[in-house]
Amino acid sequence: MLEAMIEILLKTVVILALPLGALPLIIHVERRGAAFMQRRLGPNRVGPFGILQPLADVAKFMFKEEVHPTHVRPFFYTAAPMIALVVAILPLACIPVAAPFEAFGRTIFPEVFRSDMGIFFAFAASALGSYGILLAGWASNNKYSMLGALRACAQMVSYELSLSTSVVAMIFLYGTNDIHVMIAAQTGYWFGFLPKWGVFLQPVAAMLFLVGIFAESNRLPFDLAEGESEIVAGYHLEYSSMKFALFFMAEYIHMIALSALFIIMFFGGYSLLPGMELIVERAPILLAVLQVTSLIIKIGCMIWFFVWVRWTLPRFRYDKLMDLGWERLLPLGIANLIVTVLIVYFRNQ
Amino acid sequence: MAADIFLTILTVVFALMVVFSKKTVVSAFALLMTLLSLAMIFFQLGTVFLSAVQVLINAGAIAILFVFVMMLINLEQFPNNREKSKVKLVISTFTMLVVLGVFALVINNNIETLSVVNLTDNSMKALFDKLFNAYFLPFEMATVLLLAAIVACIVITTHEKHENEEELQILKTEEKL
Amino acid sequence: MEFASFIVFFIIACTLSAVLLGISSLLGQKRKIVREMDIYESGVNPVGSATRQYDIKFYLTAILFLLFDVEIVFLLPWALAYKESSNHDFMLAGFIFFMVIMLVGYIFVINSKALKWEK
Repeated sequence: MLEAMIEILLKTVVILALPLGALPLIIHVERRGAAFMQRRLGPNRVGPFGILQPLADVAKFMFKEEVHPTHVRPFFYTAAPMIALVVAILPLACIPVAAPFEAFGRTIFPEVFRSDMGIFFAFAASALGSYGILLAGWASNNKYSMLGALRACAQMVSYELSLSTSVVAMIFLYGTNDIHVMIAAQTGYWFGFLPKWGVFLQPVAAMLFLVGIFAESNRLPFDLAEGESEIVAGYHLEYSSMKFALFFMAEYIHMIALSALFIIMFFGGYSLLPGMELIVERAPILLAVLQVTSLIIKIGCMIWFFVWVRWTLPRFRYDKLMDLGWERLLPLGIANLIVTVLIVYFRNQ
Repeated sequence: MAADIFLTILTVVFALMVVFSKKTVVSAFALLMTLLSLAMIFFQLGTVFLSAVQVLINAGAIAILFVFVMMLINLEQFPNNREKSKVKLVISTFTMLVVLGVFALVINNNIETLSVVNLTDNSMKALFDKLFNAYFLPFEMATVLLLAAIVACIVITTHEKHENEEELQILKTEEKL
Repeated sequence: MEFASFIVFFIIACTLSAVLLGISSLLGQKRKIVREMDIYESGVNPVGSATRQYDIKFYLTAILFLLFDVEIVFLLPWALAYKESSNHDFMLAGFIFFMVIMLVGYIFVINSKALKWEK
């Protein structure tokens, strides 16, 4: 019993510490990346290469005055940032960081809880992401906040549809819902060099999912929730100090969680990156460590992709965004699903 | 077992909040919490799939609809209608009778037969099998039902716009005259 | 066991966010400036209240999302059951029927232009 409790606590701490510890780094990469793309320097004064800047920001968030406006609805105003952060963290609970391994005389599953339906849990939890935003907008009692929240919510639900169709296509293709089995199906190589990643089987589904991640986590070019040229700062307009920081953290953690799901479905999850097998052959004991490293590298690439897109593409116009979701991506997702089913059916004949 | 009882009490408390709260938005969020604690009960029973679907559909979509309505129609502008009316009385008495009837059924019958035996994610597979063999027609009919719902909601929401357009047309022609 | 892990994770996540908020409200500067407490509308005096009627399209989007989401969630058990089913033709026929009905609904939505935002 005690052992089990210790195991649960350790897993929880590690799985929470990984993304939260990476947050300052990600924010720094984002800023320096932006500066790099715009041919300027970016933050480079605090510490070597400005690496301590995010920590200084955290300190600033803590000591800032917490403006609590008089016109807000107090309970929901305080609850909204907490809900946003907790809901963003939840999907991480069933994302495995490595294959199950033997240690201390038992099999350890490196995710907070093991369930073969875990992937549905993750999607359900990330579907709740719109509540934090909706509550914040309503509780702020400000026109801009309200509009931002409504827009964000309508946008998130619209893109969730095409994202779901691509998930159905992938689950159908793998014929399983167990994350570990899915990743096992993606280990190995075609023709000896091409990794068996889902993205090569289902490029359309991968594209839909990728666009879905951008829309769900409200990143540019889909950050209509904030759209500072129209609605100032959207749903977090009335928030300051740590309350704002919680929304900020929630956005990044949501991004990390959805990227992890994307990688599980299309880039082999924790399966080793090409070339790492050579190390594992020499030292099999390093397998779990290398798997964690592969996952972190893959998520890192995704984060860099987010930054890259953010500073490359301008924001959509709202009507174009909704048209794209409903009239282009959703039929594309449905067509992709039908074609996938037909191909699988006729190949089995 | 303690978790069972705690979750049950939580669900019932939130459900009561839905009914008794005077603020509509608080009711809506209490409804959301009821649905989420129901999902927790499913999870606690061992069916992550059911709890995920519960969250996806009921909490993620239906409750959002309720919240949207609360926000969109600005309920604060209407005075709170707390008068006693006969219709309300009849409806609430009827509902109470139905609830009491269900209670009586549960107590009279052996409770063992009502409890779900061995509800796990593995038994979900069996459920899918049943769904796509014995209950295939109802499954297909569900989509027809959804189609009807889609048509209905489009017709209801766009109908008024046409009327407005007609009115506008009439106004324009009157102006011309 | 799974549920216990989840609950521990959930409680730790809640505590984390509560602690973060608590720290800043303990350490943060406190000066109550009346202007700061007011509604922010880019420095202009606020006009009217925020609880007003918004476009019906938001609601329509939500309800259509709900309906299509139910259809897609119905497909999840189908996708899982297909591989284990013995009669693939039967399953495929069911799928095609399901999709045709869904597409009819979808085409109706698009044709009605209910989701067109620009007038």
